Amino acid sequence: MNETVSPLLKIVVGVILLMVVAPLVVPLLMSVSDTPYIVFPPQGFTLKWYAEVLANPEARGSFLFSLELAAIVTLVSLAFGVPCAAGLTRYRVPGQDAVLGLILSPLIVPLIVTGVALLQLFALLGSRATMLQLVIGHTVVCLPYVIRSVSASLLLVNRNLEDAAAVLGAPPHLVATKVIWPQVRPGILAGGIFCFIVSFDDYPISMWLADGNHFPVPLYLYTVIERSFDPSIAAIASLMIVFALLLVLVIEKVFGLSLARLAS
Amino acid sequence: MSRVESIDVPTRSLPAHTVSGADVGQEVPGEPLAARLAGRAWELLAGTRYTGYLLVAPTVLFLAVWFVWPVLTMVHLSLTAHVVEGVTVEGFTLENYVRLYASDLYFRILMRTIRIALMTSLFAAVFAYPLAIAIARGGPSLARLVTITILAPLLVNVVVRSYGWQAILNKTGALAWLLKLVGVSNPPVLLYTEWAVLIACVHVYLPFMVMPIAGAIGRIDRSVEEAARVAGATRLAVLTRVILPLSLPGLAVGVSLVFSLSAAAYVTPQILGGNFSPLLGTLIEQQILTLNDWPFGAAISTLLIAMVLASNLIFLKLVSRRFARWTAGAR
Repeated sequence: MNETVSPLLKIVVGVILLMVVAPLVVPLLMSVSDTPYIVFPPQGFTLKWYAEVLANPEARGSFLFSLELAAIVTLVSLAFGVPCAAGLTRYRVPGQDAVLGLILSPLIVPLIVTGVALLQLFALLGSRATMLQLVIGHTVVCLPYVIRSVSASLLLVNRNLEDAAAVLGAPPHLVATKVIWPQVRPGILAGGIFCFIVSFDDYPISMWLADGNHFPVPLYLYTVIERSFDPSIAAIASLMIVFALLLVLVIEKVFGLSLARLAS
Repeated sequence: MSRVESIDVPTRSLPAHTVSGADVGQEVPGEPLAARLAGRAWELLAGTRYTGYLLVAPTVLFLAVWFVWPVLTMVHLSLTAHVVEGVTVEGFTLENYVRLYASDLYFRILMRTIRIALMTSLFAAVFAYPLAIAIARGGPSLARLVTITILAPLLVNVVVRSYGWQAILNKTGALAWLLKLVGVSNPPVLLYTEWAVLIACVHVYLPFMVMPIAGAIGRIDRSVEEAARVAGATRLAVLTRVILPLSLPGLAVGVSLVFSLSAAAYVTPQILGGNFSPLLGTLIEQQILTLNDWPFGAAISTLLIAMVLASNLIFLKLVSRRFARWTAGAR
């Protein structure tokens, strides 16, 4: 391409990207300020706020709980979602459109509404099993992503390779593990990672279903923002931002998936 | 149909394997047990008439019980009970919906929600177009830079992103410092105003506008733009007469997504707007957790679903049909 975008557009894009990055950079700068309150530009330099946050048992507890919850939700979502995607893409299921509509509808109904509806139902059922409730709530929201991602990769599977393997004498289970699995693996991985992130970051479902003993990170962050004013909030925010950037690196480099693919 | 047949071909039409499955399986020692078990399961499942059902049924059941049932229960509650001075009155009623309209306070919150959702969509679209053009028409490195910068914040928790704006818009924040630097002596404090909510919502939901528009622009045949350029159109004319109309389907998807998401936003308006500009999400939370008025909370939730469905209908169905003639040139 000899003709690309105009320089003016590049400048506009640059300015917008700066604004996109600003709310992620400003907390990083403020978190090292040696003042008892939040101020920009930061004054002095200290890492004491980080030490304070990392030593805080509540913060650590929430973080570990969120990791545990997201891991369970990912496993449950894959257990339901992978067979479902296989059924939808490789078999004729009567009422397929209705099934697809049902699966995607949790993406349309606002999360905050799904959460409150579940809370109402659990109250009617007299349920006190908070962990189970959270897993169910998060799975409802994660399933569409998993099924979409796995279905997309199943649809791309080259049928000729399967037929070729079968003609050459491979029994079905070898066709499944040696021919289909390698082609589907990236889709399952992408679905799983996305599911993990959606669960780990969820606020609007957890805000209804969580309790003091099951307190995910986003809820914890929110309470900290509400009640304290020193740079330790900025330090927590910075840790979360660095965590997310590491996640980008891991997704792109280790798993070889592009972010654009995950989001689509 | 052909799909179903082709899965049957390898399993049924080749019964005379010279090597049995088990033998071949043993020839591959590196094969993990889980994969082998999955393969066996596949073998057992594949090819019966009910296989599709069996695979889909657990998910359908799960969603029917834990999604459809609760949502319907909630809609039902909003129509069959209302609370009068702390006492729940049973029986069919539209009282909860009338209250939303009749009460000045609640109606203002409803209007504010619609206003912020519309303004967020508008501003997001304005910011999204340059980014989308850079992704779809810029070189590979520019496209990659923009895509990563736009999508990476999605991995940062929305509470943190909203907090980032609080840190910028605060009285001692980055914006106030910047404005003082350029000589504004008494910078306005935006935090806890509708503007703060709007700014943060545009930031949080921008990716959902950029990606569909970039996709739509990417699908425009470059030769259409070249033809316009050869015929003497300026860059601006190409933008307004070619790219803009042909990317309208992407814009419609983006607007319906951003409108739906920002109308139902809870965290961002809470953190940036405080108690001064609550949206419907905050109202639901207050009615249910603070006032314990479940029927009214259920009615607001139902209204929120209706708003989201309406925006999908308006922006996706009507707009795309209306402009189908214009977009015929895009693949």
